Amino acid sequence: MAFNFNWSPLIADTDRVRDMLTSSLNKSPKPPIIVDDILVNELNLGSTPPELEILEIGDLAEDRFRGIFKMSYTGDAYLTLKTRVQANPLNTYLSTKPSFTSPMPLAASSGLTIPLQITLSDIRLSGFVILVFSKQKGITLVFRNDPLESLKVSSTFDSIPFIKDYLQRTIESQLRVLFMEDLPAIIHRLSLRLFDPELQPAVNPALRNVDTDARPPIDPFASPAQQPVDSSGIPLDDEFALDHPTETYASFSQKNLLRLATLAESQRTLSLFTPSIRDTVYRAWANAADRNEAAGGANTPLTKPTTLSRIQSSLGLHSTWSSASSQVSDTASQATRPSMVSAASGATVYTLNTSRPRAQRKRKNRVVNLRKTKDDKDISDLASISSGYTDSMSQNQSGSASRSLSGTGVSSLSGTLAREGEINTPPRSPQKKFGFQGHGESSKLGVETFGKSHPITPRVSHLQEEDTDETPRASTVLPLPQKKDVERHALPRMQTLPTRPRSLEMLPRSSSELNLSSLGAAFSEGSSGGILEQAWMMKMATEIARKVAEEKAKQGGWRRDSEQRYSTGEEAPPAYVS
Amino acid sequence: MLEFMDHVRAAFYAQSAWNVDNSYASLTTTAHNLLDFRIPNGIRLHISSLSSPNFATSYTLGSTGVVDGSLSFLYSSLGLHFKSKSRNVHLGNVVSGYRQLRELHKHERLAQELMGYDGAETQKKKDSLLYGRLYLPGSTLEALYLRRISPTSLLRLNCVSDDSLPNGGTLLALLQNDNGKYSHEYLYSTDSSLFGVRGLYNFGYDPRFPLLRPSGRRPAHPWDHQNGRLSIGAEAYFSPVNKSGGISTGLRFTTLPIHTGFPYTMTLTVNPLMGNLSSTYAVKAGPNLALCSRFDFNVYSYESDVVLGLELWQRRQTSPEVAWAKELVKPGWEMAHDTNGALKARVDNHGRVGLSWECRIKELLVSFGAGLNLKKRDSVLASVGMEFSYSS
Repeated sequence: MAFNFNWSPLIADTDRVRDMLTSSLNKSPKPPIIVDDILVNELNLGSTPPELEILEIGDLAEDRFRGIFKMSYTGDAYLTLKTRVQANPLNTYLSTKPSFTSPMPLAASSGLTIPLQITLSDIRLSGFVILVFSKQKGITLVFRNDPLESLKVSSTFDSIPFIKDYLQRTIESQLRVLFMEDLPAIIHRLSLRLFDPELQPAVNPALRNVDTDARPPIDPFASPAQQPVDSSGIPLDDEFALDHPTETYASFSQKNLLRLATLAESQRTLSLFTPSIRDTVYRAWANAADRNEAAGGANTPLTKPTTLSRIQSSLGLHSTWSSASSQVSDTASQATRPSMVSAASGATVYTLNTSRPRAQRKRKNRVVNLRKTKDDKDISDLASISSGYTDSMSQNQSGSASRSLSGTGVSSLSGTLAREGEINTPPRSPQKKFGFQGHGESSKLGVETFGKSHPITPRVSHLQEEDTDETPRASTVLPLPQKKDVERHALPRMQTLPTRPRSLEMLPRSSSELNLSSLGAAFSEGSSGGILEQAWMMKMATEIARKVAEEKAKQGGWRRDSEQRYSTGEEAPPAYVS
Repeated sequence: MLEFMDHVRAAFYAQSAWNVDNSYASLTTTAHNLLDFRIPNGIRLHISSLSSPNFATSYTLGSTGVVDGSLSFLYSSLGLHFKSKSRNVHLGNVVSGYRQLRELHKHERLAQELMGYDGAETQKKKDSLLYGRLYLPGSTLEALYLRRISPTSLLRLNCVSDDSLPNGGTLLALLQNDNGKYSHEYLYSTDSSLFGVRGLYNFGYDPRFPLLRPSGRRPAHPWDHQNGRLSIGAEAYFSPVNKSGGISTGLRFTTLPIHTGFPYTMTLTVNPLMGNLSSTYAVKAGPNLALCSRFDFNVYSYESDVVLGLELWQRRQTSPEVAWAKELVKPGWEMAHDTNGALKARVDNHGRVGLSWECRIKELLVSFGAGLNLKKRDSVLASVGMEFSYSS
């Protein structure tokens, strides 16, 4: 992974930075020796950019980013300040002391102010930087430790050691404050001006140009689409980049966050075994789900993951959380009996973005190593199925749509809606899950699971009815996910099973089933997700890539090629047969 | 206007025969009173009482946006007898203006000692004064200890206890010796271990040898400077911790009451290290008017300042019936009680103007003040305030 760090526009726009520095330097109470405003006279960021080493990336999407960097700077930047200082040490000494104990000198403390020019150069910085970027909230940059290693202060008083030392000390301490407190504020304000649409008109055109210039290099989807499954993380990003911005925003809307909160609340109260530390739990579960998805994949139709990914992209963060929470509750109730419901949620967890950056990166690597070509074929398969739909939404959900005989985008939509509904009410009842319990434990035997899943078939009809019904499901809480699962089970199996029995074993069937398997696997297999997981990963990656490709195609790019490929893939036998 | 406790302290100095003017630190008292007077800010109320000659209390409540206050207590081993009640206090005693220096007098007690005369025990006792003040809500504590350790010397300890200070507080110890002809003082501050020395020398008449006193002849003409006093002094400070210090030297000429012309005071202080020159000239142009100017100049930075100030006293109109009696009163006798109020004003070359009006209304001593900044068009009024004090 690489960043294109554009240093030159920063150098160009020093006026604004200078103003802000000036105001921030004068904001904090100045040491008594400085009797006038500090004026930033000259600011040169130098030609050497700081070195940034990526230590950790916690969150990555088009509109947000969170990462930890190790920064070191040994460049040639310099800064010249102008101010006036009090040259009489007795004067500064007295100004800080209470007057009651002042010796009240008659004239010995009379002031002598001297204009002073200070040049700060040879700045050496090294520290850990936490950078959080969100389009709505701007850039937050925080130094985790004191980054200032050394700097050289040269001033008009270099010949007087006492004053020189004093200045050096004072300026260093002031700079430390600047780095730790003021600089984050400055950067935040700057970024807000850049990103906030309301404030943007105020920004001068040059700046905006800088902004737009800077973006293209960052824009990840220009190149990678043609190679859908790439070892790097880029395809993932592409997916998000290509999504309609409003969609991604929606996933972070206040409403969703609220739902999340309520979910967490209910989960806490309803499940005895819910761990109290939310965040850690979620991560752990997400990982477990990832691992186990493979196991559950026995019955999965190939197309299922598509739906999942669709959901993921549209629902974003909040669905992730919901699924995670539901998972948690499931496990609490019964480690031995994974349920459909839990499975569904688990799958979503996997796809969703909270865990995305890390997990997916890893997996991609594995995918590449293992079986790139086969998965490619799968992808093509998927693509062919989905290609019929022009709208990207419908494409993503095409899998589910085709499976459910209702076959309309509406039904799939309703499915997603139902998912959203889940958020409010995490699955509470372990009983509902038992139908698939056997599944999880006998993870790899597709046929058996099939049989076991049959009992639920009655519900399938139920579900279908509901699906055709176009009323939004948000309010209908628990039953929906289950039904969906069932539906997904039944229909796709019929299609896929006969042709590719083996594939069922390895690939997660649907989001819901994945979870099933994952739960089972988590407990039985442990961490070795192995081939199945990788296969699933592949699916995900390919799916994403496909979406990218389609977007590209829509935009008039190389659609024909992709179509060709897809079509060939369609004809080819399933890739993951081995 | 002097706060009540300052007034009490002044009374202590006076009754223990300590000449506060005979010190280098008070070389420019007149100019200070006329040019650097305090301007009230916000609303402040003082309620004070000299409940016994030895004990005084004072409470202050103020508001400058935030309500604060202070409690202070004072104990003096020397019984203090002065007009402490706000309805009959001499306004001239609590409003510090042009300071007319008196003739140097021989310390009575010193004289007694010198003559080998063992006075009564009461005369040997070493008067002391204790003072404490607690500021709320800041919880800053001030403490003062004064002790006349000998007829010619005074020990003063000032302490401040405050969380925000390094080491939680500071202490200033000051030992003053006043021999009339000359005085010297030594000080030490715990804050960065500041040492200081001050000295003042008065030319001319030596009160220790009254027989050598020059003729008390009245001056031949108004500009005859025979009856003035020339003083020269210097101070030096050094802090071994900071390896920093400061020195200054000063000169003062002031007329004595015997002088028939209008009284005036001139001072010149020089800070040779920082190149600072400061000269003041104050004149008491009439019984109700005093004018003062100060000119500061720095020979290194060429920075200069000019401050002008005036003090105007409002006297109670004497009824025509007693006017004839007043004219018979000896010129030196001030009828301080006649004063109704005092206006002080100052202006400097930066456009800053300070105004203060101090008067007595009924039984209250009231002072109004305002600070203006003429250079700032948008906010001319920099500060405004009023203070009420009542004492019993």
